[in-house]
Amino acid sequence: MVEEREVTFRVFRYNPREDVAPHWEKYEIKVTKEMSVLDCLLKIKEELDPTLTLRYSCRQAICGSCGLIINGKPRLACYTRALELDSDVIEVAPLKNVKVIKDLVTDFAPLFEKERRIYPYLMRKDLDEVNEPTGFYRQSEKDLLEYLEFANCIECGLCYAACPVVATDPLYLGPFVLNRVYRLCADSRDQGTDVRLEVVDSDHGCWRCHFAAACSDVCPKGVDPAKAIQFLKRIVVKRHVLRSKITERTVEVVPIPHTKQKVELPEED
Amino acid sequence: MRESTLTFLQYISALILIVVASLHLLANNAPHIGPLIHDSPMYPTMMVIFLTALLYHLLNGLRSILIEIIPGKYAAKSISWCLLLIGIAAYIYGLNTLSDLFPKVIPHILPAP
Repeated sequence: MVEEREVTFRVFRYNPREDVAPHWEKYEIKVTKEMSVLDCLLKIKEELDPTLTLRYSCRQAICGSCGLIINGKPRLACYTRALELDSDVIEVAPLKNVKVIKDLVTDFAPLFEKERRIYPYLMRKDLDEVNEPTGFYRQSEKDLLEYLEFANCIECGLCYAACPVVATDPLYLGPFVLNRVYRLCADSRDQGTDVRLEVVDSDHGCWRCHFAAACSDVCPKGVDPAKAIQFLKRIVVKRHVLRSKITERTVEVVPIPHTKQKVELPEED
Repeated sequence: MRESTLTFLQYISALILIVVASLHLLANNAPHIGPLIHDSPMYPTMMVIFLTALLYHLLNGLRSILIEIIPGKYAAKSISWCLLLIGIAAYIYGLNTLSDLFPKVIPHILPAP
């Protein structure tokens, strides 16, 4: 028999065009064991209130679009089973530390703006190779393991919502941006560490982290941004305080293997 | 100065404070060791180090808190300059107060005429 339970959803509602202030609305629905919170919200939208606004995409914890505060904790709605919360009332609110666009939809533009400041891509000095590649950069398993743990970030913003520093200092870069900086600095193929450290070693950079580790606690992908920030501090101290010499990592360029030319199609008569 | 250098100095000043503040507490409260520390020719120098480390640690800590709770494009610089001026004023006042300690020790250091 399918386990089914009546659950009350207390959902945050706010339409800046119409409402003076946000309010909570209650919806009662029947929830089965396999339903995620996202499924429940979509059921509410389909059956009870079509005006409810929420953002989602992949439904499998890959896109990071459906981050919400569920029962007081930042979680992915698609990755949280409603009955596993073991509560008759489930409270759903938009992520903290970001502006609400409508209901459960938040504005991530400031986060991505911060991310752009740290050059979130691999930077190389061998421009000839970058512009006209002759091969690919070889990386050993050891090199990969240096950053793999931190590369799992899906930028869902849950860490940003949980961070107590972002709550008081909106200019602080935030956990996922700093995690991205460390992920790139630890990558043997990257040569942009110095440029990024200039951004990070600032008034609102990595030194504002209190190491509350709330970011690591809420990460749905098991990434540890708090650890990444501590490692990043170590790199900054080595480079900027102890003035240790910058050694560019040399990565071997492996030629692209010979591939067969495409067989041309016969011309049509 | 870079934020990393300021934070590094914050940690160094904390370590200095642990040592110097402990000696200061002993000098004022330990019945047997206290007078020995007090009469040492190094005591006034230690007090100057104590003052320097304490002021830096206090004001830089305050700066970190203030720039976090008062975000703004120019807020960080304004706060840093204000606290620097307060720090210089407090340092001069502190050195002036501590200068009373030096004459007592100088005769012990200098050979008797």
